[in-house]
Amino acid sequence: MNYIDFTNKDNTATIFLKGHIDSSNAPDIEKEINETLGNEKFDNLVIDAEELKYISSAGLRIILRLKKEYPDLKIINVPTEIYEIFDMTGFAEMMTIEKAYRKFSVDGCELIGKGANGSVYRYDEDTIVKVYNQYSSLDDIKREREMARKALILGVPTAIPYDVVKVGDQYGSVFELLNADSFAELLISGQKTMDEIVDMAVELAKQIHNTPVKDGEMPYIKDTALGWVDFLKDHLPKEEYEKLNKMVNDIPREHHMLHGDYHIKNVMMQNGEVLLIDMDTLCVGHPIFELASVYNAYIGFNSADHSIAKDFLGLDWDDSVLFFNKFMHKYLEGRSEEEIEEIGKKAAVLGFTRILRRTIKRFGYENGKPLIDKARECLDKYIFELDSLYFDTGIE
Amino acid sequence: MMIRKSLENDVLTVFLSGRLDTSNSAEFDSAVRESVDSVNEVVLDMRGLEYTSSSGLRVILALHKLMDAKGGKLVLRNVNSYIMEIFDVTGFSDILTIEQ
Repeated sequence: MNYIDFTNKDNTATIFLKGHIDSSNAPDIEKEINETLGNEKFDNLVIDAEELKYISSAGLRIILRLKKEYPDLKIINVPTEIYEIFDMTGFAEMMTIEKAYRKFSVDGCELIGKGANGSVYRYDEDTIVKVYNQYSSLDDIKREREMARKALILGVPTAIPYDVVKVGDQYGSVFELLNADSFAELLISGQKTMDEIVDMAVELAKQIHNTPVKDGEMPYIKDTALGWVDFLKDHLPKEEYEKLNKMVNDIPREHHMLHGDYHIKNVMMQNGEVLLIDMDTLCVGHPIFELASVYNAYIGFNSADHSIAKDFLGLDWDDSVLFFNKFMHKYLEGRSEEEIEEIGKKAAVLGFTRILRRTIKRFGYENGKPLIDKARECLDKYIFELDSLYFDTGIE
Repeated sequence: MMIRKSLENDVLTVFLSGRLDTSNSAEFDSAVRESVDSVNEVVLDMRGLEYTSSSGLRVILALHKLMDAKGGKLVLRNVNSYIMEIFDVTGFSDILTIEQ
């Protein structure tokens, strides 16, 4: 007989229960489970209930006996009807029982966007589904949802993140549908001038940066940046690496919310209201890290091949550089030209630190050469020119 | 969306119905704010509310903070299961005072 399927991964045994389990077949199923598990002792036992249609008390008793042997027994992928049985019988309080992700089909749904990590479909009049490609892990997807949720609760304008769903073999996230245009679209179509967009982008950036975040709620960007620097230990002259390492270490630990990937394609406007999207890079830290990501979007990533600004943001290289400069002047309003220029260099150093690591890792020295040269040119010069990488934000 | 207000002593009750979204959230915000000066408690009666977008949530959050700051409170009443689900998935139900 073959009532169950079984897998063993990292010494966690998973039993897949299928169909109806009642008193007529329960003894056979239990026998098969016991034979499958044999005398081997696994670290954990998981029951996958995705294909379970019904379970009677005879079936529940099998689970109870398994639980005695495996106190951390977990039941996953539980369909709603089966969950009700576990809930009614008190099983849901006795053990970890995870409901199955709702199944969505995007057949016939309008494709409204395609990005690096997935596609976005309009699902109904109020929601969209972001379907992730196979490279996104469930943890990444849950993290993006969780970051968006935390931001929303802290009052940052963003779309409501609903649940994580299953779309065929892939995972998706359901978000509120925004009837909105991105800042990039408004700028390129001429509906808004660059100055208007810069003003709104800076105002929103300041609102985000003025939002304090409690310890442990979001990743601390300085830790991530120290990881970039650590990678460069073998790729930069010793003295240069040490100076960079010290300067990143010296950036004070501040608790401002940062978007982490702040550019005109990630800000939308709906009925005059400005909203933020793509929240997976949300983090906390000193705003210089945000300015570094802004530098990268408009200048850093496009510095070796200027056509990337056009492909990515829809802006000519000159406009992209102009946008960054206007953004910095508006963000740092009230400071002297020299000060703004210096903070720009600090943003460039942090930006190129990230780019250098990423380019070496992804493309290697040969294929990544043009961008690696640009990064080195900037780092070699500014690291010794600067005393620190932070500035007084004036935010409490 | 329909907004109806009733003021009794220092309790302002706001009855919401229909859809609360970006087209009317500002109107909702100012309708409440213009009446809260001498009020200690704002009750949002949501019996007739069918949907709220994130802009509605932001107004509710801002009103919650406003009432908190002046030592009063914001209470949500008669929240239907659909709206309750939105409060649950977003974690708003942990922050707001919801009386059923």
